[in-house]
Amino acid sequence: MKLQANLFSSASAFLAISILCPSRALAQTFDADAHTVQVSVLPISVVSLSSGTVNLDMSLGLITPGQDQMTVTDQSTTLTWGTNSSASKITASTSLAAPLFDLRIVAVNPTQGAASPEFSLTTTAQDLLLNLGRSSGSCLLHYTGVALASQGSGSDLHVITFTVQAQ
Amino acid sequence: MRTELFIIAVLLTWALPAAAQLRVQGGNVTISITAGIPGPIPPSATVSTTGLRWRQETVDTKITISTICPGQKFTLRAVATGITGGGTPAPEVTLQEGMPATDFIVDIPPRKPNNGRCTVQYTAVATFEQGNSLELGDDLHTITYTLVAQ
Repeated sequence: MKLQANLFSSASAFLAISILCPSRALAQTFDADAHTVQVSVLPISVVSLSSGTVNLDMSLGLITPGQDQMTVTDQSTTLTWGTNSSASKITASTSLAAPLFDLRIVAVNPTQGAASPEFSLTTTAQDLLLNLGRSSGSCLLHYTGVALASQGSGSDLHVITFTVQAQ
Repeated sequence: MRTELFIIAVLLTWALPAAAQLRVQGGNVTISITAGIPGPIPPSATVSTTGLRWRQETVDTKITISTICPGQKFTLRAVATGITGGGTPAPEVTLQEGMPATDFIVDIPPRKPNNGRCTVQYTAVATFEQGNSLELGDDLHTITYTLVAQ
């Protein structure tokens, strides 16, 4: 008799839980499903300039009597880049194969990497910034135009190309 | 009488899982980041080819999202759009390896046996500093959506 009473008690408890809390007992999780998402990132290297045109004007005011060489500078352009490759550099070259005057360039205050020493632009790409790594950054471009008074007057039009490439 | 109640309880217990359904539609997804621009906005790509379909229950429910992605390198976010059948999208969820199940759609009303649907918008983001798949490999997420009582 005592055993029967215990069984009855257990059955009653089970029924109470099952009926009163069916949703809570499953709370719980009704169903689940899954799929895969693959994320692929291609090598990306991009570069942009804050201005499309720079004018270096050697006016009369730059001429010093008794001195043949004249220089003019400009640092108004910002170069911005982004590269997700581990070993990258930026080179610079000009479209003008035979310029009348010397045009030099150097990167100033790069936020990443190291600037190469100033160099004269030629049609052969030369290193402007090295050791960029995977980065996004910027620098100022410092141009220096050099002319000799003895060269006379004239003008050069350079189309300068900056390229992010593997180092 | 007690015997009848017991049988009813057992039927309830077995019937609920069969009635509950959540399905991911559209198959597996590949997101490729192929371009970017210099500056503060990192390269990204968005895909909306995945859908969710669920059966509304007899109680308020919600859908959670979680991922398994060992060695995760890039950022992946998900948000529900175009919900039909009731429910509120949670703010965009950033999916990270080891994350707990996170609310994706909440306040799904009990309107059984109606169905609900939504579109899943995935956005992958990879800063330049995070690198590329050629050097580091792809990320492969196994993403699980779970329909639970709220």
